[in-house]
Amino acid sequence: MEGLAALGTAFAGLASFGTIFNVAWATLLGIFVGSLPGLTATMGVALLTTLTYTLDRDTAILVLICMYVGAIYGGSRSAILLNIPGTPASAATSLDGYPLAQQGRAGYAMALATSGSVLGTLVGIILLVLLAPLLARAALSFGSFEFFWLAVFGIVISGQLTAETSPLKGYIAGLLGLMVAMIGSEGIHAHVRFNFDIQDLNGGIGLIPAMVGAFGFAEVLTVMWRAKAKLVAKREDQDRVLPRLSDLWKYKITIGRSGVIGTMIGIIPGVGEDIGAWASYAAARRRSRERKMFGKGSTEGLTAAETGNSAVVPGALIPALTLAVPGSAPAAVLIAALFIHGIRPGPMIMVEMPDFIYSVAIMLTFAMLAIGVFGLTLTRLFILILRVPREILMPIVFTLCVIGPYALTQRLFDVWVMVAFGFLGFVLRQMKYPMAPLVLGIILGSLLDKNLRRGLMLSDGDLTPFFTRPISAVFVVLIVATIAMSIPSVRAFVSRLFGGAGDRP
Amino acid sequence: MSLDSAKADRITAVVLFALGLAMLVGGYTMDRLEIRQIHPASIPGLLPMILGATMMLCAALLFVGAARRARAEAVEPAPTEGGESWGRMAATAGLSAVYALVLVGWLPFFVATALYVGLFILIFTWPGSGTSAGKVKIVVIALVFAVATAGAISALFRYGFLVRLP
Repeated sequence: MEGLAALGTAFAGLASFGTIFNVAWATLLGIFVGSLPGLTATMGVALLTTLTYTLDRDTAILVLICMYVGAIYGGSRSAILLNIPGTPASAATSLDGYPLAQQGRAGYAMALATSGSVLGTLVGIILLVLLAPLLARAALSFGSFEFFWLAVFGIVISGQLTAETSPLKGYIAGLLGLMVAMIGSEGIHAHVRFNFDIQDLNGGIGLIPAMVGAFGFAEVLTVMWRAKAKLVAKREDQDRVLPRLSDLWKYKITIGRSGVIGTMIGIIPGVGEDIGAWASYAAARRRSRERKMFGKGSTEGLTAAETGNSAVVPGALIPALTLAVPGSAPAAVLIAALFIHGIRPGPMIMVEMPDFIYSVAIMLTFAMLAIGVFGLTLTRLFILILRVPREILMPIVFTLCVIGPYALTQRLFDVWVMVAFGFLGFVLRQMKYPMAPLVLGIILGSLLDKNLRRGLMLSDGDLTPFFTRPISAVFVVLIVATIAMSIPSVRAFVSRLFGGAGDRP
Repeated sequence: MSLDSAKADRITAVVLFALGLAMLVGGYTMDRLEIRQIHPASIPGLLPMILGATMMLCAALLFVGAARRARAEAVEPAPTEGGESWGRMAATAGLSAVYALVLVGWLPFFVATALYVGLFILIFTWPGSGTSAGKVKIVVIALVFAVATAGAISALFRYGFLVRLP
């Protein structure tokens, strides 16, 4: 009841013509960014952060959330029409979306993707409102020992789940991020580490220039490196651009399950939308009666993937707001944006700004409505957007990558950082190192460092409390189990023990 | 050429091992701030040492895994995607790096951006063979987009966000 009243207050505070205008342009921009291969949600949120620092707090967060929701949804357009996910979140969408487009049902595939995204976001919002206050209250009992293990757990689970080939590469990416975070002034004694006598490094590596480089410049390089994509031109007369309610009703269980799976994956630190989509897709395939159609144009598979990836967005904001630990890469940028606008995410958020979580839920609701309206009415416009040649789009994107980080601090050093991270990001991605653990490492480095040393000071150098306090012990067990499961022989043993390896995508 | 291969993993493992070692040594030799009488468990080099050692361990595992991968690749080579162009990528990287690291800060932002955008479009859309009318059309398109992009972005940041442009 208290929550509903808070939601009502948040709605009253945000409902205005100005809000509707901001929601409209930011979501549309988000869909545009997401639908173009090479422009990702993380890049969109990072670039837009550099443009929001003159806006007031609520407007800035609103447009960033709209960009995030819009971009994750927009990725489905190119996944369906080009067989290239606009963002990694839509990789599972292309499995069934592209075959549907080849059958001349691109319009209907996009309509289903829109419905799935709207419903997935809705499930995520409901769980955000229910779970975030509980998590914030639980996190109040976290001390230094627990926060240390939370940071370690975040890196390990993110490295494990986002690695394409070997979890080891995920762990290495996380370690690299943590190493980057060691540069500059540390948080306990203000001692400057690893600045190599460069004054600009005293404050450390900025998250926004690093993210713009790793997700912006690296994507520009990747897009130009790849072969040109071909747009599916085939369209049948009976193709429709509105979803059938009977189809949605038929898949109600798939939608509900995918929404819950997506949100839960979102809560896990640094895992993100692509894993949410794959997990929802795999669960739907396992339980579907039309299992054989998956990968050949299954409407259920497409709905599951799109519901799953969109539900991750509200889910990823749950730990971001209550623990200051991002559930995905765009959420990491959002945390940086929150700090820029004077909001301190973490366990104290329900004490210092009890209404903020509900405001975020209302902002997500506005964004959800906007993707529904734009998605179902502007299908043809998005097809036109996909025709913009990369040779014209990419230099414009890179120009924004240069001026965006510069605008935040007005120093050219951040442009150099962006370029360096662009090259690093491109090379690491080519070598199949995931980017999410790297980002998580950069953002969690300070949390890990401060809480390790603070914990050791509290225990006078004794390591025992790191293992004996109940929540710490749970984290230790989870971390050991996660690392053990990345060893093939252990995984095979556990599979034999529980009778089968399950159905992996 | 693929950067995802056993050979690339082996080279990376060596680089990462050196990086880990450097961080371990850097953390160990870092000022322990004894003069400020801090708690010995809170020395600034503690986490860098742990990270350095962990990275060395991971690098060693990567090296061992690369040897196993090399044996597997000898039997069945890794599949490669088609249509990628390292030349296109190198041209993008070079042009973008020159723009960001040299031109911006040296030339006024508007001029640097117009040059970059115009050259980018020209280089990647220039028809190797074709009529002179076609070539003139490409030059005009590049010129229009160069001036429009540089003008719009400069105006947005200069007057919209009150940024003193480089």
